[in-house]
Amino acid sequence: MNILQSFLKKFFPSQILRSQQDITELQTAFKRQYRNFRSLLTANNNALEIMAEMEQALAMGQPFSMSFVRGRITALTTNVYKMTQFLTQLSDGKYSGLATVFNDLTSRLENILMRQPAVPEGKFIMPLSEIDRNSADLTGEKMANLGEVLNHAKLKVPDGFAITSSASQHFIAANNLEEEINRRLQTMLPDNLESVYSTSAGIQQLISRSPLPADIEEAIMAEYAQLEARQGDNVLVSIRSSATGEDTRNSSFAGQYRTQLNVDKEFLLQTYKEIVASKYRSQAIIYRLQRGYRNQDIAMCVGCLAMVDAVVSGVTYSRSPENPRSQWVVIHAAPGLAAQVVDGSAPTNMYRVTREEPHKVLDRKLSYPDTTQSLAGEKAFSLSSDQINELTRIALRLEKHFGSPQDIEWSIDRSGAIIILQSRPLGLLTLEQRDPELDKTGDEESTPFLMSGGATVSSGAACGPVHIVLSNLDLLQFPAGAVLVVAHPFPEWATLLNRAVAVVSETGQVAAHLATVAREFKLPAIFGMDKATEVLKNGDMITVDAVGRRIYSGRQETILAQAAAPSANLMENSPVYRLLQDALTLITPLSLTDPASPFFTAASCKTFHDITRFCHEKAITEMFQFGSRHSFNEKAAKQIVGETPSQWWIIDLEGGFREGLDSKNKFIHIDDIVSTPMRAIWHGINAIPWQGPPPVSFKGFGSIIFQSTMNPNLDPAVRSTLTAKNYFLVSKNFCNLSVRLGYHFALVETYLSNLLTESYVSFQFKGGAADETRRMIRIALLKEILERFDFRVDLKGDALTARIEKKPTPFLLDRLRVLGYLLMHTRQIDMVMGDQGMLQRYRQKILTDIDMLLKMENKQDDKGAITNGGKV
Amino acid sequence: MVEKYKILLVDDEADFLKINCKRLMRRGYSVETATSCAEAISKLETGWPTVVILDVMLPDMDGIACLKKIKEKWPAMTVLMLTGHASMQAGLMGIAHGAADYCMKPIELDELIEKIHIAHDETSSLHGL
Repeated sequence: MNILQSFLKKFFPSQILRSQQDITELQTAFKRQYRNFRSLLTANNNALEIMAEMEQALAMGQPFSMSFVRGRITALTTNVYKMTQFLTQLSDGKYSGLATVFNDLTSRLENILMRQPAVPEGKFIMPLSEIDRNSADLTGEKMANLGEVLNHAKLKVPDGFAITSSASQHFIAANNLEEEINRRLQTMLPDNLESVYSTSAGIQQLISRSPLPADIEEAIMAEYAQLEARQGDNVLVSIRSSATGEDTRNSSFAGQYRTQLNVDKEFLLQTYKEIVASKYRSQAIIYRLQRGYRNQDIAMCVGCLAMVDAVVSGVTYSRSPENPRSQWVVIHAAPGLAAQVVDGSAPTNMYRVTREEPHKVLDRKLSYPDTTQSLAGEKAFSLSSDQINELTRIALRLEKHFGSPQDIEWSIDRSGAIIILQSRPLGLLTLEQRDPELDKTGDEESTPFLMSGGATVSSGAACGPVHIVLSNLDLLQFPAGAVLVVAHPFPEWATLLNRAVAVVSETGQVAAHLATVAREFKLPAIFGMDKATEVLKNGDMITVDAVGRRIYSGRQETILAQAAAPSANLMENSPVYRLLQDALTLITPLSLTDPASPFFTAASCKTFHDITRFCHEKAITEMFQFGSRHSFNEKAAKQIVGETPSQWWIIDLEGGFREGLDSKNKFIHIDDIVSTPMRAIWHGINAIPWQGPPPVSFKGFGSIIFQSTMNPNLDPAVRSTLTAKNYFLVSKNFCNLSVRLGYHFALVETYLSNLLTESYVSFQFKGGAADETRRMIRIALLKEILERFDFRVDLKGDALTARIEKKPTPFLLDRLRVLGYLLMHTRQIDMVMGDQGMLQRYRQKILTDIDMLLKMENKQDDKGAITNGGKV
Repeated sequence: MVEKYKILLVDDEADFLKINCKRLMRRGYSVETATSCAEAISKLETGWPTVVILDVMLPDMDGIACLKKIKEKWPAMTVLMLTGHASMQAGLMGIAHGAADYCMKPIELDELIEKIHIAHDETSSLHGL
């Protein structure tokens, strides 16, 4: 039997007389059914959007946080759950198998979300003499390396001990702080610096004010007493952060946490708590967010080291940080404590020394942080050649010991002994190996620059408005995308590096923490650019060429193009990244594609995407069947007529037809349809006559449909009985249209609400009669056009899905007109898609037509355009 | 958006209550606040609220238990969970026990208002109102 006939029978059953009461009851039931249906669609809408957001997060390389992952998955789960609930109500409890699948998926997701790093169990305290590389989980990387330097490289380090990650975990757990910390971080707005600062300050206070458990307190004081016994009563110590996961090859965490110098016995415990709290310093929070670390991925360990009475301190690189293959050692040295060298606040001597013996000084440079300090003196200082030799030998020894170039902090005490304070890999310093002189082109010479000088501390070029930051107030006003201009490279400015496009500092050198983080974030940075904060003015657009060490006015495309390089995905392989990746395997793959397949069942759903697909399909089935099940012909399908009958059928769900319409009439005139989205689609379908090709003979609008329904040899793309026809399922603001035109199948669904959350347009398209290559070319053309009109398009084989969500109604109405147009005008053009010239011609015609269509709409009421009743 | 609901905000965070109360009122909604479940229940007993926005963690009772209590007495009441605590299980429990939505802080005011409207529509139609 003809499919069309069987369909008509279904929707036009023999008249059954009903009392008015029956009809009212039915209408109420239908209304409820329809509301459930719409709620299901809203949840579906939300779910698809959330899934797209998560896929995008993974693909784009934009940083995302664990809060994002947890929040999105929670929102997704609740929406998918709501879909299953609404479907249960729509179908009177059919599809109960969904619950099993859903519960299984959620518990597997829960396991992924709950995945925790192994918490090391161990002593609260470890003396340096017991520490080496293998203790990193307990002592943090910094202390583990220091133990290695002492116990295996056999060099001098300060006397002291580590307070382990077990201790800090115990401290946090004993005060039950973890949940509160996570709650505060979850509600923090990472793009709002004020929110970041207040969250950071709040959490740090929370930790610093919590009491230390007695057992930790006793263990620390007992160990300190032993240190006193060796080093003297009330020996001053430095309390250093030594986080796990810090200073590894891929993530430096440079300057993130606190180090407190000259701490005496009285303040020991309080300082310990403050260092533990410094895990939540704003720059550390931002850094972790950028790099995909959760709080629990980082454990705070603390080093407690007797102060070195330093005469000279400095930093040694076993190879040049600008060039890891260089054959010289670089030493930065300054009088006093090492901290001044790394925070960029002291005048330093820089030496380049040959790696081969006898070590020769290649050159020496003196750099001052600013003019006022240099006037104050201190220029008399320099390292002796013995000291240079010894420092160089130590650097080479440590490089050999650790197996990679090293970045070493040291002090020389009054007895002349060199004490190693820290040694860590130099792996992050990835400046390209090239001479800036070689990069200069004639262009640069001819372009006048604003300033030049300083040192390249991170290569590249970028353009943005100047924002000078001298105080915390400037910092709060820092706009995203600006060039950070500072007087000194203080580590706290690192908080801004996720917003800045480049960094310019008047002082400082390559050893500064801020430089390390800039390199890590691949931000071009020039340090030592004298008078930058005076010459540059807030808001000026500049181009920073860190390679050429020049600043240009305005946007310099040539320079930017030369520096353009694909930016690294900072998140990749971080714990959070891997977690989202694993979670998405249970969420986004779609295996249920064909509703006619015997495997299109609840039990076959393997992912959340499958469940949403299944619920959506079955919800539409339920809505369709409602009318026939209840012989409720008021709501059944009518044929649309204009001047002549068309091959379009329409079913009213609620308020889609003009009031007072004769409900018994099997035909409906287009003017009696008041569904806004339907009329927009209809306008798109009819506004511009379809001219072919291909030159296939057809009579009127529906000929292709009859062709395909009458020819059983054509394998339909989608065999669902529901979707094998052209139906509009409408309400005032809702429209679901399934179309088979030519040999392709298409589905448009939309709801226009004044609530953006509910508003969407979705479009599915599949099939065609031509060979696969041509079909694919057509679908690629469709994708291109849809993307031009802001659709999010997903292509799997020759099946296309496109969506737009959460946009205002006029915007969506235009998109519906576009879809209506495309439905008609891309018919069978797959047949001619083999020809590039033809493709060009069609693309051009389609774009011109759409342009005309949308302009037409702006001028006249949509009613005026709908006159030909679907006749082409 | 014609309908202006009477909203009861339940949260133990004073800052949150203050800010959001002010914002919602500026948009023309009537708002009252409660800092505990007990206080929320007593305000519900006056028959005033049409929508309840409930935190998941309250000082006297966890939010899900509070939700159950509310839904037992007032099954047709529109309740949204709004929390800084993103938990799948809490989300599912919330929906299963009759919350119309489970939202995460921070949330944009416009988004919250939309969610309130959708939640109210859904809850009303569920109870045949």
